[in-house]
Amino acid sequence: MRDYKKYKLKFNPYLDKLYNSDKSLIIYKVTNGYNIYTDFSKKIILNNNNINSFFKFFNNKIFKKETDILIGFFGYEILCNLIGLKIKNQKKINFYKGIFYKPETIIKIRDKISITSNIKKHKFKDHFNSTKILSPFKSNISFEKYKKIFDLFSKKIRKGETYQIKICTKYKNKSQINPLNFFWKLMKVNAAPESFMIRDKDYSIVSCSPETLIEKKGNSIITKPIAGTLKKNKKTSIKSAYRFFKNNIKETKEHNMIVDMERNDLSRICKPGSVNIQKEKYVEEYKHLYHYVTSIAGKINKNVKIKDIVKSMMPGGSVIGCPKIKTLQLLNEQENEERNIFTGSFGYIKFNKDMRFNLIIRSILNFKNYSEISAASGVVLDSQATKEFNENYIKAKSLLELFK
Amino acid sequence: MIYIIDHEDSFTWNVVHQFSAFDEVYCSNYYEIDRKKLNKSSIIVFSPGPGSPSDYPLTSKIYKKYKGKKKIIGICLGFQQILYCENAKIIKQNRIYHGYQSEVKVVSKGSIFSKYKKFKVGRYHSLKLKEPFKSENFQITMRSKESNVAMAFENQKDDVYGFQFHPESFLTTNGKILIKKILQS
Repeated sequence: MRDYKKYKLKFNPYLDKLYNSDKSLIIYKVTNGYNIYTDFSKKIILNNNNINSFFKFFNNKIFKKETDILIGFFGYEILCNLIGLKIKNQKKINFYKGIFYKPETIIKIRDKISITSNIKKHKFKDHFNSTKILSPFKSNISFEKYKKIFDLFSKKIRKGETYQIKICTKYKNKSQINPLNFFWKLMKVNAAPESFMIRDKDYSIVSCSPETLIEKKGNSIITKPIAGTLKKNKKTSIKSAYRFFKNNIKETKEHNMIVDMERNDLSRICKPGSVNIQKEKYVEEYKHLYHYVTSIAGKINKNVKIKDIVKSMMPGGSVIGCPKIKTLQLLNEQENEERNIFTGSFGYIKFNKDMRFNLIIRSILNFKNYSEISAASGVVLDSQATKEFNENYIKAKSLLELFK
Repeated sequence: MIYIIDHEDSFTWNVVHQFSAFDEVYCSNYYEIDRKKLNKSSIIVFSPGPGSPSDYPLTSKIYKKYKGKKKIIGICLGFQQILYCENAKIIKQNRIYHGYQSEVKVVSKGSIFSKYKKFKVGRYHSLKLKEPFKSENFQITMRSKESNVAMAFENQKDDVYGFQFHPESFLTTNGKILIKKILQS
């Protein structure tokens, strides 16, 4: 292990070389900066056959240094499969169900830059990633089709089959992107707390996710569900947004439901009486919008395994609807295109079983020369189809702008 | 031991934690009921859940088998399930309450709660009890202040209780006390 000299953020020759190389790398936003993970010595591509051995990988592992960590993502489908739900008859692009990487080098960008690496000599091969936009963005669902699903779900709510359900819209274009370029551009305007980027040989992901699904240290676990979105304009402020959410019955009800659902998901793995709301209903500000957030914490039961935590918390309830199982079944019957990474989770598991995972929303997946951006908004009883359809567009907007 | 039957809801584990404050709790999915444990338990709780009582015939069977022999408590769907077994009709409401905090009041003198007492509670229901409803030893003990919809029943003789609202919700201010009283009665 070797600590490199600390460089200033600008003109860092190591980072410059890394960015312009063909190396796979991952960037993850942290509170006061970014962590970059690279020099992957292991890459685990998840499928239904190896997922159990993936969870067992952490048994008997000892956390000695910061690189003792696996970082990557679970796609939506594998998370559904884990809780016993099969998805049939969807259009697929055959993207990976999930991938985790073992880094040998971690670069921390704070006020200064520090590099921790198990590799003695760093070699770089120049590689130029160009951005090419080959077709305009197209939505995969027309308003008419959206309205049809919306009305069907409204009926299901009346019958009590679901209380809230989120319909996904996908925007797609033909393009190649330079993910680093896109990511740093995005961070200038919208450095959301769960932002991340993955650059691998055959795909990339750029995300400004605002939502923390799991923050686990020792036996403490926190989740911070978001439910409630308000579009920004010149007149709005954090205060007025708070008033809006508080006085808006529809937003409040939607939020309450998610809070009780997340309390439930934590309770499944936590000690009785330990699940508490830490901070109830506060507003976070983003470039184009405001979000309504609550943070909930608990203490994990002794014999709970990583797999139990994943199965209980994922796919994250706030982007699915409620109750989770029935709503997932309804969604999977109606959505005709695979969600891929959307509403999956990105994050890491350390060898001491500490973890951090987000909800993959507000993200671009570039694969096989296509970029896709997904967004979802909720149907509850008082929703209007036009408004929710447009909300999906607002959510995707800061990502769509990167292609301009 | 308290046995909680989970109708695959996303609120059931809040119920589990709430009851765990009083006794050992065993919770299983509706599709994986452990008959031995169920038989050994002294209290059975029917959880909330999606859909309507006719979707859960097994729960109805269990109710009929243990009514009068064990304490039975129904929450939301569980409340409707018990009434459905007592030949009540469960129907759609015009206004639907999901994630809604509202006030209920105790309306009956014979209730284990004092008459006219009010509670702030969380509601998640599309359906409701069709009234008038009559069944031996059953009385509606709480109603919504706003809409007068039935919110709780008691059958003290057979030790059967139900809440249409969610005592385990963070929207219910005195949930733990409500459960404690029911368990003690």
